[in-house]
Amino acid sequence: MNIMSYRFKYQWVALLLLICATVQPAYADEATELVKAAIDYWRDVSSYSVMDMTIHRPKWERTMTLRVWTRGEKESLVRVMAPAKDTGNSTLLVDNKMWTFSPKINRIIKIPSSMMYQSWMGSDFSNDDVARADDLVHLYTHRLIGTETREGRKVFIVEAIPFDSAPVVWGKEVIRIRGDYVLLEHAFYDQDMVLVKKLVTLKVKPMGGKEIATVQRMQKTDKPDEWTQILVKEARFGIDIPANTFTLSNLRNPRQ
Amino acid sequence: MMSGLNLSLLYTLAWRNVWRNRRRTLVILLAIAFGIWSMVTLAAIMRGMIEQQVRNTINNLTGHIQVHAVGYRDDPAIDNSMPPPGPTMLKVLRGKKNVRAWAARVRVPAVVASERASAGVTLVGIDPEAEQGLSFIAQAVTEGRYLQSPGDHGLLLGRKLAERLETSLGKRIVLMSQDIDNNSADRGFRVVGIFDANTEAAETGYVFVGRTLARDMLKLGGRVSELALVVHDRQDLDTILQSLTNAARGLDIQPWTKLEPLLVLTVKMYEATMLIWFVVVFLAMSFGLVNTLLMAVFERTREIGMFQALGMRPRFILSQVLLESLTLLMIGMAMGNVLAWATIAYLGGGLDLSAFAKGLEWAGLSSVIYPLVAASDVITANFLVIVLGIIASLYPAWRAARYVPVEAITRT
Repeated sequence: MNIMSYRFKYQWVALLLLICATVQPAYADEATELVKAAIDYWRDVSSYSVMDMTIHRPKWERTMTLRVWTRGEKESLVRVMAPAKDTGNSTLLVDNKMWTFSPKINRIIKIPSSMMYQSWMGSDFSNDDVARADDLVHLYTHRLIGTETREGRKVFIVEAIPFDSAPVVWGKEVIRIRGDYVLLEHAFYDQDMVLVKKLVTLKVKPMGGKEIATVQRMQKTDKPDEWTQILVKEARFGIDIPANTFTLSNLRNPRQ
Repeated sequence: MMSGLNLSLLYTLAWRNVWRNRRRTLVILLAIAFGIWSMVTLAAIMRGMIEQQVRNTINNLTGHIQVHAVGYRDDPAIDNSMPPPGPTMLKVLRGKKNVRAWAARVRVPAVVASERASAGVTLVGIDPEAEQGLSFIAQAVTEGRYLQSPGDHGLLLGRKLAERLETSLGKRIVLMSQDIDNNSADRGFRVVGIFDANTEAAETGYVFVGRTLARDMLKLGGRVSELALVVHDRQDLDTILQSLTNAARGLDIQPWTKLEPLLVLTVKMYEATMLIWFVVVFLAMSFGLVNTLLMAVFERTREIGMFQALGMRPRFILSQVLLESLTLLMIGMAMGNVLAWATIAYLGGGLDLSAFAKGLEWAGLSSVIYPLVAASDVITANFLVIVLGIIASLYPAWRAARYVPVEAITRT
């Protein structure tokens, strides 16, 4: 009897260890999958959207209308439609390389690495934020740090910590993803784990056949009266976009 | 009888005349001593500054000789890289006894970014071992540690730049540059060491990483941007330069005098300033000297007239006054040199100019200056004073020699 209970105890310990060993990586994997799914959901196989980008500053505010095409994870094209002053300004992204075209000077400029941390078209997004959106899957370790409930839906909170060698300055990023993969919040922390800036989804609406974040706002913590807001007015997903959309020649001479 | 007048008699006369008016003599001796003192001391301080500036620049990754691909110096881009040194070049680098240290580096413009700021820098990929004795960085890390191998994953950041980026030891920063295919290359690095440099420009201008990591990041393969070496003795520079040029055809091989033309110009300017200072001090001094001698000659009008009446030739009178002047100059110079030596010995621990440090740093100097005596400067100063002093005393001596005996004797 004594011997039996002794063995029994050990079996329990072994089982417990086994559970821990299997569950822990599965947990991390789940978080990575969640982030990947959210990004896939957001970008789809391809997309076309029209959005208003509002840049708000204490003394002024301006709104630009943008048309955005994306295909897969690596290709996107943005064109400014309004105001007239900026019409035609475009940005092309292929494989983390970035070019801009300005009709006023009729020149394509490749954004050098030195400018990646500068603001994109005067907004609170940096060129880097725009170019690197999908690195969030590959260059970070992810961990599910909690769940919460918002408007009756389950929301997963994922903490992403960049690899040592990753070209990411943040200490960590915390992403809130709704159960149906809509991204609700993306917070950037410095290496002292102090919040630096935050992208918050203010409104989720069905558009283009699925629920998407239609109003998002990027705001730096130390500048409460400055923000950039994106309002999606029209969106279509899974559409056929010709391959030549994401080329330098199309950047200069629009064919759509 | 006077033609046989020997020098020793003339000298006795001159010596006694010198001490006839002690106060006047002491004043002019002090003037000469002070003049010499200021020349030698100032020259030593300036030499110290020059030497320091040269050493700082050479230490500041310049070395005595640099080898680049042709075009790198005009455009230090990654395209202008070169293969690592081949066997013939290695033979020169390793075979020559007078090569003290050499290293091949990756050196390209880059941007370093932290959470809050970014800055343009020069990314330097080094072999930490080889930089010992070649550049400042091997000794400059004051917080954290120095890189351990070319494959070290850490990064060294200047203190001033770390402040600007609002980052610190142990944090990660991102380096961005362009790889050999002109695509943007970037990578995160952990700051393992903070270094202090002599100048702010060096602290904010350079970021050091292991050479292997820099090559991987930039897809350089085995290529490098720069090869730098220092020699034991700057005199041997030309021979080494020659053998390197023979060993590596088609590469741009330059001594520091060509790499840093501004520095060479600065050195020349310092030297010119020094000479001008010498002349100005001498001029001020010579007026005093001429005045003293004129006075002495004037006082002795009767006496000189008497000498002449007794048959002393004018040239002996001239010699006598010149000897008097020479005596004054020699004593003054001896005093001045001793004073200068004492001052320099006192300042040997360094002349702290940190109150003006900002301007000095701009000129590539440190805030503490160590005077350096160059024999050539001391000789120049003394030679200038003796020769020009004698020339200046020719006037009073000539006046004395020209007295007409009858008039001179009758003057009261």
